[in-house]
Amino acid sequence: MKTLRLEFADTMSEVGQCDPRLVVMVGDISHGILQGFAKACPGRYYNIGICEPTIVNMAAGLNKVGLVPVVHTIAPFITERAYEQIKLDFGYQHLSGNIVSVGGSFDYAQLGCSHHCYTDVSLLCHLKRATVTIPGSPVEFNTLFKKLYATDGIHYYRLPERPHGIEFAASDLVPGRGIRLREGSDLTIATIAPQLSNALAAAERLAASGLSAELLYFPMVKPFDQELLRASLGKTKRLLVVEELSAHDGLLNLCLRAAIGLPGFSVRHLALQDFLHGYGTHEELSERAGFSPQGIAKSAHDLCSSP
Amino acid sequence: MTLNSDLRLKIAEMVKRSGEGHIPSSFSIVDIIDHLYAHVLRVRPKEPQWSERDYFILSKGHGCSALYVVLHKHGFLTDEDMLHYSTAAGRLGGHPDVTIVPGAEASTGSLGHGFPSAVGIALGLRIQARENRIFALLGDGECHEGTIWESANVASNLQLGNLCAIVDWNGSAAQLMPRDDLPAKWRAFGWETQVIDGHSAEELSAAFGSLTFSARGNPKVVIARNTKGKGVSFVEGHGKWHHRVPD
Repeated sequence: MKTLRLEFADTMSEVGQCDPRLVVMVGDISHGILQGFAKACPGRYYNIGICEPTIVNMAAGLNKVGLVPVVHTIAPFITERAYEQIKLDFGYQHLSGNIVSVGGSFDYAQLGCSHHCYTDVSLLCHLKRATVTIPGSPVEFNTLFKKLYATDGIHYYRLPERPHGIEFAASDLVPGRGIRLREGSDLTIATIAPQLSNALAAAERLAASGLSAELLYFPMVKPFDQELLRASLGKTKRLLVVEELSAHDGLLNLCLRAAIGLPGFSVRHLALQDFLHGYGTHEELSERAGFSPQGIAKSAHDLCSSP
Repeated sequence: MTLNSDLRLKIAEMVKRSGEGHIPSSFSIVDIIDHLYAHVLRVRPKEPQWSERDYFILSKGHGCSALYVVLHKHGFLTDEDMLHYSTAAGRLGGHPDVTIVPGAEASTGSLGHGFPSAVGIALGLRIQARENRIFALLGDGECHEGTIWESANVASNLQLGNLCAIVDWNGSAAQLMPRDDLPAKWRAFGWETQVIDGHSAEELSAAFGSLTFSARGNPKVVIARNTKGKGVSFVEGHGKWHHRVPD
């Protein structure tokens, strides 16, 4: 499957040729793959360098004079480092733009914790005018970006390094809507890209052992599809949240907020409790964090066997 | 004789009435801001969002009392606005809020934000082949922020010839960091640099009158040797008056 980063570059070319307001600024990454956009849209591509707060701040300035900015670099630097710029220069001032990151969670598994990012989704969720999209496949990014990019708001797209490998139709993708991939009755598994593939494999294991898991996938978490979550949890009464985000906020928080008022239900949470020290492949760090199909299935069994 | 004594008096009255404000910082820059609105900026007070306007961004937002009295003098703000400064009934506060203050171009306060916004505005206007000019007023203390130098570097390399920075060089920064050769720093970043007395009508007129703007060219900086608290002997300088309210 095409990578999300390549899809990002192609989508910029596609949209940029239709919309002369689109301007792309990067922090010295993806420079090569964006040359198509640069050639197709002269004067609207800038490799600003290693100065993420300034890139975000400048993007707010571009929007102030009517342009539609897209800023792009590595997740911890464009969100955590530049959060005050996102908060004040876009949020406080009611300006709009698009932030496209790569390297969220521990995608840069061989580079260590300086390049990990667990809190970006949470940080953006604090801003009322933000949307948060976590596309796990190229069609998700292309479809949702085109629906959101020119609308009022701070649009954050977190591109995982590896697509989850599951094909969706563009018609399946509606801003603010989740997708039920599998029906079940014993528990609900809620997840986001790219752990969808592990969660799906876990659901198959659980079925083989007699547990019926309903699998919910959320390409966008803000706005969050509360109806989908409530309908599922109202049926299963058990919720397992699998997310490559900080355990202290994120998808679990969104699910619990959606579940307010539902009668008694049980919850388990697979998330990142602290820095994920060490190196390796994404799969190896996933396993260490408990995200493997076996780890997810074990948590599901714990959830279903508890009183 | 001190310029703009009337504006300084209004600043003091606003701050005393509300119990909030930075008088010395505002006295340091009020002459520059008034000069810009009176003689340099192309603006329409009754049409603050006029698309052809020049942009003025007060990056050192805590000096906003000076901006407010100038915006009032030039017709952007009403007497009622000034009376309700820093109260729940009003729209003017201790830092400007672009969403509610006519004539304010950025919500500043957290230092190091207004200037990078100005760089983005300058680039955006050039992309659209528009001839508006952009002015941003920074504090010398604000020049401790890394984003100022990130942005100075970017603006110079992008050759944003439609951009002018003004630095309020009143010695705040040197209290902490005595190596304070701001002209050399800005020159090193490739900016056309002038140093003037920011309280002199003649030098303000000569400096801003000499600027030439273009879509591509070196950005310009006017470094104004100012006096914090200028115009009131016991307020001048650095000390307890920074955020003090008169009795």
